[in-house]
Amino acid sequence: MTWENSAITIATLLPVVGAIVIALMPKSREREIRGMGIVVSGAALAIAIAIAIGFDYGTDGLQYELDLDWIGAIGVRYHVGIDGISLPLYVLTFLLTFLCAIYTWRFVPDPGRTRGFLALMLLLETGMAGTFIAFDLILFFVFWELVLVPMYFLIAIWGSANREYASIKFFLYTLFGSIFMLLGFLAMYFQGPDPHTFDMVALRDFGAGGGFSQTFQLVVFGAVALGFAVKVPMWPFHTWLPDAHTEAPTIGSVLLAGIMLKMGTYGFIRIAIPFLPYGAEKYAPWIGALAAIAIVYAALACLAQKDLKRLIAFSSVGHMGFVMLGIATLTEIGIQAAIFGMVAHGVITGMLFFCVGSIYDRYHTREIARIGGGMMQTMPKLGGVFAFVAIASLGLPGLAGFWGEIMALLSSFSPSEVFLADRVGLFRLYMVMGGIGTVLTAGYFLWMLQRVNMGTLPDQWRQAGLRDVLAVEWVSWLPLLALILVLGLYPRLVFGVTDDAVGGLMRLLGS
Amino acid sequence: MNVLAAEGEVAFKATTNGIWFVEHAWIVVLLPLVSAALILFLGSRTPGKGAVYGITAVGAAFVFSIGGLWHFVEGGGPFEGSIDWFTIGPLHLELGVLVDGLTAVMLVVVTAVSLAVHVYSLGYMHGDERFTWFYVVLSLFTAAMLTVVVSNNLIQLLVGWEVMGICSYLLIGHWWEVKENSDAAIKAFITTRVGDVPFMFGIIALIAVTGFTTTNIGEVSHELGLGEVSPLFVSVAALLLFGGTVGKSAQFPLHVWLPDAMAGPTPVSALIHAATMVAAGVYLIGRLFEVFLLADEWVLTVVSIVAAITALGAALLAIVQDDIKRVLAYSTLSQLAYMVAGLSLGELGLTAGFFHLFTHAFFKALLFLCAGSVIHAVHSNNMSEMGGLRKYMPITFWTMLIGSLALAGIIPLAGFWSKDELLVVAHEEHATWLFVVFLVTAVITAFYTMRMVMLTFFGEYEGEAHPHESPKTMTGPLIALAAATIGVGLLGAPQLNAVFGKWVFFEEIHEAVFVPWIAGLSTAGALLGLAAGYVLYRERKARDPLQAPMGPAWNLLQNRYYIDEFYMRAIVRPVRDTWSAGVNWFNQVVLDGIVDGAAVVTRWVAQLVAWFDRTVIDGAVNGAGEVAGRTGNALRYLQSGNVQWYAVGLFVGVIALAVVFIRVV
Amino acid sequence: MDVDYHALLPEFILAGTVLLVLVVDVFLPERTKWFAMPLGLVGVVASLVAVATLIGAGTRVSFGGTYVVDEFALLFKGFFLVTAVVVLSVSLRYFREGGFYQGEYYFLLLTSFLGCVMMPSSRDLLLLFIALELVSAPGFLMAAFRKGDVKSNEAGVKFFIIGVLSTAVMLFGMSLIYGVTGGETQLAEIASALADVPGELQTLTYAAILFVVVGFAFKVSAFPFQFWAPDTYEGSPVPVAAFLAVASAVAGFAGLLQLMFVAFAEQHEFWVPIFAFLSVATMSVGNFVALRQTQMVRLLAYSGIAQSGYILMTFALVTDDAASNRTAFAAGVAYILIYGIMNLGAFAATVAVSRRHPALLIADFAGLRETAPVIAVGMAVFMISLAGVPPTGGFWGKLLIFQAAIERGGGLGPALAVVMLVNSVVSVFYYLLVPRQMFLREAADRSRLRVPALVTVVVGAATIALVGIFVLPNPVARLAEISSLVGLGP
Repeated sequence: MTWENSAITIATLLPVVGAIVIALMPKSREREIRGMGIVVSGAALAIAIAIAIGFDYGTDGLQYELDLDWIGAIGVRYHVGIDGISLPLYVLTFLLTFLCAIYTWRFVPDPGRTRGFLALMLLLETGMAGTFIAFDLILFFVFWELVLVPMYFLIAIWGSANREYASIKFFLYTLFGSIFMLLGFLAMYFQGPDPHTFDMVALRDFGAGGGFSQTFQLVVFGAVALGFAVKVPMWPFHTWLPDAHTEAPTIGSVLLAGIMLKMGTYGFIRIAIPFLPYGAEKYAPWIGALAAIAIVYAALACLAQKDLKRLIAFSSVGHMGFVMLGIATLTEIGIQAAIFGMVAHGVITGMLFFCVGSIYDRYHTREIARIGGGMMQTMPKLGGVFAFVAIASLGLPGLAGFWGEIMALLSSFSPSEVFLADRVGLFRLYMVMGGIGTVLTAGYFLWMLQRVNMGTLPDQWRQAGLRDVLAVEWVSWLPLLALILVLGLYPRLVFGVTDDAVGGLMRLLGS
Repeated sequence: MNVLAAEGEVAFKATTNGIWFVEHAWIVVLLPLVSAALILFLGSRTPGKGAVYGITAVGAAFVFSIGGLWHFVEGGGPFEGSIDWFTIGPLHLELGVLVDGLTAVMLVVVTAVSLAVHVYSLGYMHGDERFTWFYVVLSLFTAAMLTVVVSNNLIQLLVGWEVMGICSYLLIGHWWEVKENSDAAIKAFITTRVGDVPFMFGIIALIAVTGFTTTNIGEVSHELGLGEVSPLFVSVAALLLFGGTVGKSAQFPLHVWLPDAMAGPTPVSALIHAATMVAAGVYLIGRLFEVFLLADEWVLTVVSIVAAITALGAALLAIVQDDIKRVLAYSTLSQLAYMVAGLSLGELGLTAGFFHLFTHAFFKALLFLCAGSVIHAVHSNNMSEMGGLRKYMPITFWTMLIGSLALAGIIPLAGFWSKDELLVVAHEEHATWLFVVFLVTAVITAFYTMRMVMLTFFGEYEGEAHPHESPKTMTGPLIALAAATIGVGLLGAPQLNAVFGKWVFFEEIHEAVFVPWIAGLSTAGALLGLAAGYVLYRERKARDPLQAPMGPAWNLLQNRYYIDEFYMRAIVRPVRDTWSAGVNWFNQVVLDGIVDGAAVVTRWVAQLVAWFDRTVIDGAVNGAGEVAGRTGNALRYLQSGNVQWYAVGLFVGVIALAVVFIRVV
Repeated sequence: MDVDYHALLPEFILAGTVLLVLVVDVFLPERTKWFAMPLGLVGVVASLVAVATLIGAGTRVSFGGTYVVDEFALLFKGFFLVTAVVVLSVSLRYFREGGFYQGEYYFLLLTSFLGCVMMPSSRDLLLLFIALELVSAPGFLMAAFRKGDVKSNEAGVKFFIIGVLSTAVMLFGMSLIYGVTGGETQLAEIASALADVPGELQTLTYAAILFVVVGFAFKVSAFPFQFWAPDTYEGSPVPVAAFLAVASAVAGFAGLLQLMFVAFAEQHEFWVPIFAFLSVATMSVGNFVALRQTQMVRLLAYSGIAQSGYILMTFALVTDDAASNRTAFAAGVAYILIYGIMNLGAFAATVAVSRRHPALLIADFAGLRETAPVIAVGMAVFMISLAGVPPTGGFWGKLLIFQAAIERGGGLGPALAVVMLVNSVVSVFYYLLVPRQMFLREAADRSRLRVPALVTVVVGAATIALVGIFVLPNPVARLAEISSLVGLGP
């Protein structure tokens, strides 16, 4: 076991160890428990950063690769590795979880029970991180499913009023999708190269080379895409998201929006498209259509929301629509735009949920009408941060949100000549819908700011002792705020990483 | 690196003073950007609340720009330089500067006005609770505008373009406690964004022309020049780009935001909504002029029609305004339309149009700052609450008079020369109808300008406040700008061989000509307008003397042709209230209904199966169970009839299975 | 007549223990009758050791091939004996405090286990029958053990009647086989004899097979012979329910595996549809009815039915292709083992709660995280595992069956897989009811629940086992693979 082949495994599994340790700590040692959460997630982040530093950015191959026999009986291997497509999401996972751990130092949602809270959060971290490094379909699926249980409990125990409905809905809906995905995986196993294998590299090469029959691809792509689509979530499979987000505790929402949704889009890029290019070709116009609908639909829905958190949740649907639109174009630019969009959305929307969480902490309500505006008067810093992030989220150039959107629109102007040459008109229609979406997005975000930040503070809050941003909040937010700006001004931070990997992928698909 | 770079090299060899400034034009952009950051983080802790950073930075930038312009005064050539930004697939993006005459002039305009406003705001915004923040955004805006001006590529330009937009939003809504202000801010941002979307698509189309390899303006123009792209494609692209202009430069039908934008502090109106940002739309056309020239005829026709409508329509609206800033706002609309119309006249028009942009920037900024000074004194925007102010604030009066005459186009003030040149070009290009529009608008302009001056400074003071001359920090910039207003016009005066045309031109320099009869005509028109204004508003009346004679037309104008109301009824309210509610309903009731419905159905099935399980399969046995329960005696049970009944059941079941499955085979 | 005494040692030891318990019980005073339990425990452990000594000793044949001890047999013997240990452990306090006839109970229980242990070795119709009866007969009595309790009586009676009748049907089927094959009782011979039965006897053969299947269908509580399970489980003492749900059902499967994969292998075209029907119907009935349960034991009963449905599916996957059969068989066996662990755990946890809440409503589990954290966590793991979701062994169980189904292919396989996955999604709903009670609700009586040490140990062990299997599923997958039974296909 050298650093080269064990680093990502250590980083990924460290949180589980931490979770066990925390679970075994005495309940009374509250501070130590919270501290341990920060230490563990911090250590994991440190390793992840070390990995990113040691990463060779000049190539599109797998790095830090480790390929061990796991379940010989059914040909399942522990094959992990990391490349330019995984790395940004992988690091983001550890960063966000670490910041959540810091945030938890001050904010443990009712009914307390910090041990369980942090333990589940760390378990969740492993599941999410693992998904991005798994290169064996079953291993991928295991990590994929691993997030269900912790997130279920995070919502069901620490959620707000309607948590039980939301949690069970989240669990059943995503499970339903993912099981079809599993059938797809198994089908690929048996139709795949001889000897049968779950190895994603082997299957990718096989599938990209047109190894699977066309009918097979159409069927299996449908099955696999369903699993991913529910997770993304693509319209019309999104209805679990607003409920889950609205009810989840703050860090639950942050991780859900920040990382978990990306597992779906990542799946499209990593598995669905390269393994089943013909299926991708045939489904892409439909995916694009759903994405375009999602953008406009979500924006309109946001205009109707009265609950701040629900509004942000719906905005996620729209942003993921841009990501899916980029993917649907099957172009190098589009897919890179998608990855950038994922990272940007992770940072921005994660940050937005932090803000909403803190607003709720001050007002004990998320209802825009009850907050009643004037937040800038009492809490200029919180209001300023909120405004900054909202403006980033509406895709202002110079901030992170912009690049994903513009590049997605750019790529949909002329989708892949190889696959979608005869669909140009259609995709330009999607581009126009996306454009309309950006206007509406600006509309609902600015309207939201007007109703929350601006105006004068209602009397009932004057004596409420609303406290502006706290130290712990600054600590857990500053990295994200900085990233929003840095990614906006220096997008190479992500594009530089993804360029080779996506390029390699595209060459594989012959375009 | 590209065509223009080559020229850049040449320019580099022919060393002229100021070349250094040109090569380091990026510093001009950086200065205000840095100052914005400094003010944001240190402002509140520095004496003077950080304004000093902004003023210093912009001042330095101004000096720099002058240095840059000098290079072209000495006949230097354009320069382009850039550094890599990032690469995404085939597409290579760069951060770069492209400095030619046009750029240099714009740099001077922007930094000059910005500097004036920075100083002026010391007094105007004195004691404002968000003074520091105001300066942050002011500097940031300046940086963004300069970015647009120097960009050598489309994406960088778009970045600056949108950042300007958000700064405009922040400054219009600076006093966000009042809902009207935040409404105006949102209206401004959304309306311009409506224009920016097609603009973005236009940019994408241009990038597509290069096969998604570069966003460099020079290379795009080069690609287009090869003529391999279908004219229709170019035309559509040009039209899309024009969408950006319509939005930012507030041309019909997206002009509605600018008047409301007057809700912002007056210095902002001067800088952003008169001199610079709104001019960006015009600048855009100039920057991408090839696209418009390569496009089919009808594109420029569309442009000129839009401009004509705006020029006349806005001028008429200015007549009926009571709010002094709104008079200037509508005047701005119509003057911007002049420029756009000018550009629509082709290569000659480019120079003329930009000359008007150049002069207008100064006198319009001056007018706004004067208005600000007045408002500062009487605490009201309404001219009905002013009057007779020339006694109380002489400096403001005289400077504003100069500005007004310039706007009206009185020789030898700035406005005269640029308008005259526009008329000349319209004549030379045989665009007679535009010529007429220009002339008529000029008359109206002179009229409402005079009306404004009369209502503000003549007659007796009507308001409650105690008017007084503004502090030096405010009057200083007024005087400076007034001086500029007198001076800058001469730069385009043919008698002084119109040096302006040597800096700003397309492909080759065109000698500006002086056509006496046109000059006379326009002057006559202007005088006519002024006279009419003077006569009508010599002594104040309770009701506007025009109201009665104009009748219904008056109401039409008062209601801005009902355009705003139409947008509100036909678009904003339906989308914001009706459609969104509909979508939300669909989401909660239909989509979510399906999901929850699945659960319900499952429960039904469960009920059904359970019933089946209990009654059909198990029914017989329950009887037995009860018997057994009653007696707790198995023997008794065995004698009861249930067992046969049940046995029969089981055997029938077995037989049934047998029949089914054995027959199957 | 060759007899391999070493190979039979486990049975001998167990039989001896049975007799010992019976005798000792007579002399023990009422207060100390619980002593029968440790006694039996020692015997079971000893027998387990004997099994251990046979591992790797190759295939031992006794009584002219009618009684075989091979890896398959050892695997199941070991499983049954471990189950016996668990059931005994959870029984002790339950029966001491419940005031039952303890002596008889332990005697009967061990007798049933003797039957279980014999089952996987019996390669002869008669032996299978004997083993099966040995498992069932004591079950009838134990089910009715809560004397005076109406439910318990109903349970016992119903269980008894149905047991007898289905056994009758099975016996009839066996006799037909005997006739058709011209007097064969050994499974291997039956297989070869059935290969060339004259055409006119085909129908009769099929009828015979069907009847035999019915007998076992009852034991594994497959639809439409499942209805006794919920009442019986609910009515009988919880440890007995555990025994019925795990040991007796698995014994049924052990027998069924041998019959189907050895004796009636050639006729799979005929019986595969039957099993397809049985599995689909069984899992659906189990899951959907379980959705409406409010009582813990009934819930486990229906869940058990559903799980039987999943296992039965592996039979429906048999084809001519030896490889895919092997996968199906392996999947089935692996699932049976994992199923055993999670169910035993669940019942053990239920026993723990039953001491405070005899009614054992699901609602009685409210706030268990506070009153008995270990049990609560364990129970949560069992439920999640039964639902087949990571990070638990149940996940692999389901995955293996899915895999087998997809490999089987040819329409039926994937179709069954889809039915099964819809079922498992449905099942998640009721499995989550329990953790929801334990972790989201507060208990009325928040004082610490006194849980017998042995029960805690069992729950803890099962929990660790399930999580361990999730991390390192290889052993389970292997165990199933090496069992040498499958002689199927060309």
